[in-house]
Amino acid sequence: MENNEHLFVVSVYSENQVGLLGAIANAFTRRSLNIETLNVEPSEFEGVHRFTFKTRTTLDKVESIVKHIEKKVDVLKAFYYVDNEYLVKEHDILASYIDKHKR
Amino acid sequence: MADQITDEQMFSGSEILLKSLIAEGVDTIFGYPGGQIMPTYDKLYDYQKELRHILVRHEQGAIHAAQGYARAKGIPGVVTVTSGPGATNVITGVADAMIDSTPVVVIAGQVATHLLGTDAFQETDVIGLTTPITKWSYQIRRVEDIQWAVARAFYIASTGRPGPVVLDFTATAQKGKAAFNYEKCNFIRSYHPYPEIEEKAVRKAAKMINEAKKPFLVFGQGIILSGAEKELQALVEKGEIPCASTLLGLSALPDGFPLYKGMVGMHGNIAPNVMTQECDLLIAVGMRFDDRVTGNTATYAIQARKIHIDIDESEFNKVIPVDLGVLGDAKAVLPMITELIEKKPREDWGLTSTICDAVEKHRVIDPEIHPESGEIHMGEVVDTLAEVSGKNALIVTDVGQNQMLGARYSRFNQTRSMITSGGLGTMGFGLPAAIGAKVGRPDRQVCCLVGDGGIQMVIQELGTIMQERTGVKIVLLNNNWLGNVRMWQELFYDQRYSSTRMINPDYSQIASAYGIRYRMVDKREELREAVEEMLSDDMPYILETHVLEEGMVFPMIPPGKNVNEIMLNNDDWFDYGE
Repeated sequence: MENNEHLFVVSVYSENQVGLLGAIANAFTRRSLNIETLNVEPSEFEGVHRFTFKTRTTLDKVESIVKHIEKKVDVLKAFYYVDNEYLVKEHDILASYIDKHKR
Repeated sequence: MADQITDEQMFSGSEILLKSLIAEGVDTIFGYPGGQIMPTYDKLYDYQKELRHILVRHEQGAIHAAQGYARAKGIPGVVTVTSGPGATNVITGVADAMIDSTPVVVIAGQVATHLLGTDAFQETDVIGLTTPITKWSYQIRRVEDIQWAVARAFYIASTGRPGPVVLDFTATAQKGKAAFNYEKCNFIRSYHPYPEIEEKAVRKAAKMINEAKKPFLVFGQGIILSGAEKELQALVEKGEIPCASTLLGLSALPDGFPLYKGMVGMHGNIAPNVMTQECDLLIAVGMRFDDRVTGNTATYAIQARKIHIDIDESEFNKVIPVDLGVLGDAKAVLPMITELIEKKPREDWGLTSTICDAVEKHRVIDPEIHPESGEIHMGEVVDTLAEVSGKNALIVTDVGQNQMLGARYSRFNQTRSMITSGGLGTMGFGLPAAIGAKVGRPDRQVCCLVGDGGIQMVIQELGTIMQERTGVKIVLLNNNWLGNVRMWQELFYDQRYSSTRMINPDYSQIASAYGIRYRMVDKREELREAVEEMLSDDMPYILETHVLEEGMVFPMIPPGKNVNEIMLNNDDWFDYGE
């Protein structure tokens, strides 16, 4: 397992439900991680919100956080990136996801 | 649409809730009334035929009873409590249900919406409190949302990896009016309880099993939750794979199943713990590598390749890094693997379990369950119970020595026969959980193994047993100590017995006050006959056994040790050379 710390970006796409921010932030708190920055905004997809966190941690921990967050019922998808290499493929992945799980 | 509905077709939110529960197949509720849930209790008066309400004596009893009910029956348990203290009193059980993957739906009253956030009487932030310990929690503020929320609650609680759901039911929603047109939920776009199984992973798993010379399988409660008992049997039989259970997986395979080697973990059997360190492939199914199972994680099965089969992706590599994770429901995954594995000769390592079993029998089991003199041992009571019940009892334990000896010496003929608080280790769980189990499975003999510490945490629930005439058989293992903590103090804290000695009440008088039949046994010669008497009918019974005060639970892997570093007693460690 890799134990070097990096600044990670964790981005989370969810339904617009009251209380989700607390639920997601809990995943960081439980692992004693500081949230360096946090941004919450409507995403480019209707009714879908995006949370963007920055946190300094190890790869193992960030992987476990992302899986933990994605387990939340109202969370659609969660991603992590090292530093600022993010936003590259999110749009495409989410578009195909929403397409696949249409009802 | 609303203007076409006449007044007669409108129902109060409380009634809509009850009708929704009935639509979900609920016929039993465990609960306790109070201010902010009173509208719902008022309506419940009209639905007594459809919904049996079990009035507990403390909300903690309601949630544990619902857990016992759910685990005995395999469907969600339902709890109704009031706001504020009613809700906070169920928190322990909700956390317990979360960590042990138990489907329960808790409906807690809440103050009217205009009072939210004002510190109103009996207002508390239930969503804030329960979010980290629930699979889903939701505040119902509008009457229109009740059916949607209840449908989602049952779908979420009972599918995938099950878990608790809390609905915070405001007085405003309870008192509002709406039409009733219930639709069950079977789709949430952000929730995929049964992930698609990757065939590639299945093929790889089968290949790894086919390549293995000494494969070993450890299964957990996932087998029971998935209903995959037969599928598990088929897999290990075809592959001739020896297997073992975690604490919560107990009873998934019947006693005497030839490939079954016992329970892993701190107080598990020697053979499966040693085999963990000797196998060349470890297959973990529906279990989560609890630290009571793994001991020192740095050395746990370090020599083996590992496959982890689980329905919850976040379990992969959480504690133990694995070579392959197979995501999916055990009932679906196991037959796919079984089909691809070959029947082939394995390296003969039967000797490992033969040696371990012989040492364990001679050094640990015989002295515990067949002592020649002295006081009755706890293990002896459990063993007698297994024998007299014909291995058919549904055992519900509390937490501590009663639990570990209950797990070690109970024997099971059928699945869902062991209900215990595994992950959270909640003392006080046993008695109410046994009530719930008996309510859910009145056809089964339900026996509660409990110590003098645990029973006193929830002793008021004897009132529930009295009122409901629940035929629970309570086997009280009284050693006048908080036995497990005392044992740790003896072994690891220089015998400084800090706050573990217990002065007990006269249980015969307590039993008599509640009108429950009672018998005390302190002589070995009377034990069997007393257990026979207890099991001879279907009425509640308290059998108090005065057991060895300084009883110990062995074998034991001390915390942080490798799983093959096993204590046989206070001074001796397991040694292959014996």
